[in-house]
Amino acid sequence: MNSKRRKLLQALGGTGVVAAASPYLSFPAFAQNTPIKVGIIAPKAGIAGTIGECGLRGTMFAVERINATGGIAGRKVELIVEEETNPKDSIERLRKLVLQDKVDCVQGIVSSGVSLAMGAVAEEMKALLIFWDGTTQDGVKETMANPRYVFRSTDNECEAVMASLLAIKYWKGKFKTIAGINPDYSYGRNNFAAFQALLKKFGVEHKVVADQWPKVGTTDLNSHVAALKAAKPDLIFSSLLFADLPIFMRTAHGAGLMDGGTKFVFPAAGFQHTALKKSFTPEGMIFGHNTLYFDHKDASPLQKDFVKMYVDKYKDYPHWEADRAYFAMQVFKAGVEAAQKAKNAWPGKEDIISAMEGVKVQSLGGPGHMRKDHIAEQTFYQGLTTHKNSYDFPTLGTVDTMYSDQIQKPPGADFWKWIETAQIKL
Amino acid sequence: MTALFDIVFGGVFHAAVLFLVAAGLQLVFGVQKIVNLACGSFYALGAYFGISAVNWAIAAGVPPVLFLPVLILSGIVLGAIGPFIEALLRTVYDRDEAFQLLLTFALVLMFQDVLRYFWGANPQQLGDIASLYGSIQLGAVKGPAYNLLVILASIVIALGIGAFLQKTNFGRILRATAENREMALALGVNARVMYASVFTLGTILGTVGGALVVPTAAASLDMPVELVVESFAVVVIGGLGSMRGALVGALIVGLMRAAAISWYAELEMLAIYLVVIIVLVFRPAGLFGKAVE
Repeated sequence: MNSKRRKLLQALGGTGVVAAASPYLSFPAFAQNTPIKVGIIAPKAGIAGTIGECGLRGTMFAVERINATGGIAGRKVELIVEEETNPKDSIERLRKLVLQDKVDCVQGIVSSGVSLAMGAVAEEMKALLIFWDGTTQDGVKETMANPRYVFRSTDNECEAVMASLLAIKYWKGKFKTIAGINPDYSYGRNNFAAFQALLKKFGVEHKVVADQWPKVGTTDLNSHVAALKAAKPDLIFSSLLFADLPIFMRTAHGAGLMDGGTKFVFPAAGFQHTALKKSFTPEGMIFGHNTLYFDHKDASPLQKDFVKMYVDKYKDYPHWEADRAYFAMQVFKAGVEAAQKAKNAWPGKEDIISAMEGVKVQSLGGPGHMRKDHIAEQTFYQGLTTHKNSYDFPTLGTVDTMYSDQIQKPPGADFWKWIETAQIKL
Repeated sequence: MTALFDIVFGGVFHAAVLFLVAAGLQLVFGVQKIVNLACGSFYALGAYFGISAVNWAIAAGVPPVLFLPVLILSGIVLGAIGPFIEALLRTVYDRDEAFQLLLTFALVLMFQDVLRYFWGANPQQLGDIASLYGSIQLGAVKGPAYNLLVILASIVIALGIGAFLQKTNFGRILRATAENREMALALGVNARVMYASVFTLGTILGTVGGALVVPTAAASLDMPVELVVESFAVVVIGGLGSMRGALVGALIVGLMRAAAISWYAELEMLAIYLVVIIVLVFRPAGLFGKAVE
């Protein structure tokens, strides 16, 4: 394939030379002529294609703003974008970015399957890598307890923990039978198990009357819905999050699954928020928007700017992958600039990594920081859905906000033991 | 009772769509003796084209009640690609089966790129078209009316194919060609026209299946492979080349899948292939297939 087609060079902000001149002057001794190269690996096709696209838009927004204000420590940012596919091919693209394109940092990755394999390779290559999503966990077991070059996103289970806590907060005593329909891989299985573990922790008596595990990409969910309907659960917990989620909701609505007052807990529904139309998505369900709720009334000016740009430019509303991508770029920027300031010279990779540990940044969705063990902490948003808005899809009527230190296991802890012993507030 | 209805209804709906694709596969194998892996691609193409057709219909102000006919029509129109694909397959009619499989698999990969080029890489969905048809309710039993219409459409198509094969001259010639190709050719059957017609009909069955299912599902690049795997289970159970086998095989696969999902979801695929293994052991030619001597 023509390398030019695969290479998206973003000499962004090139026309804003005068505006950019002032920040350049802040780093006269260290400014280099060459841009900082950042490699991005994100899915462009398949079930995660729209997720990668949204993340890439978050990155481009970050880079436009960075370059318009002089770049990172005086150097403009140039992006080189590669596609995330299967672990083997994605790792080859990581090697290409590091060895051939000689990027200063690689960011991206949505799939945990890819990040799990890529993390070890990045460590071996001593390549600075910041994951947008996915983790380096095998199930909930951290496979890279003490990484040096890899920085990763919050645990995938954060949204399930938060949704479980909200279900208990809002509905404790109002349900006895539960059912699950979750994707058939570790994420879905861990989420449903975490929900049950938290019910047990908070003394909520319950009985699992059905558990469905459709494979990712299943497009006929009629039989799954029939099984759920037959079980007559008081509450359904689902961490479906790809194109199968709107299919499930449509099918469930058509089959009458929503007629009997069943409660719905959907921690990861925000990935598909615009596809979940009001006509088949009920009010009053717990709906997770993860680290970016686009319609938050108290959003920061930064988020409001981003959402406005997103709507104007792409005629769509962003979800949390944009925030994850923006966060990754800001962590890198903050690390480079802190290291440059401390060293009073252009920092090396090791200096940047050390500076990134513990760094605090303002992301699109709210504040976040990178823990010393290279795991992100961010602000999460979930709540109960409402149809009272001007969109054709539900938004949140009540917005609950939690910082991830309340819903993520602390450094070195075992996830299941943490659930048992943690002092978790509802 | 209500639960049983829901499970059976879900299974029969899946079987209805599966039957259309498997029937196309059977028809083509019966006459042309080609195992057409690309039948899954026709199904996917029908789904994508169905989305575009309904979007055009919406833009043109077509009333929602006509969306189902629009979808069926879009599948039939798409059948126009059949003769062109069949012309390509002529190059391997007399070659080893491995070449035929290789060529039809190449078509699967090529169609995947065609879909990607025209509709993009991301899964496509059709809003909430299915719910416009409302629900059917008989006492405590409730289900989506659209799914029932798809089942009825498949039954009508099955009856239509049956009548076509049994009652028309062309159907008789077609069956004769399937039975003894050399004899049919010796008696003056125009093989080129026969093959192009059969392949086009097989293509239409696949494209209509894809178009009908898309309001309840999503069109994705993974569709062809997903469905072709289940279609082969149908063919093995029913017997290669048998239309009756396609019908019974699709019902068995659809109902087994629904039952497995309801009682022990992890057994979804195992249950289907358990039946395949049992059939292969005790009736290698399939329930309605003819044993090769």
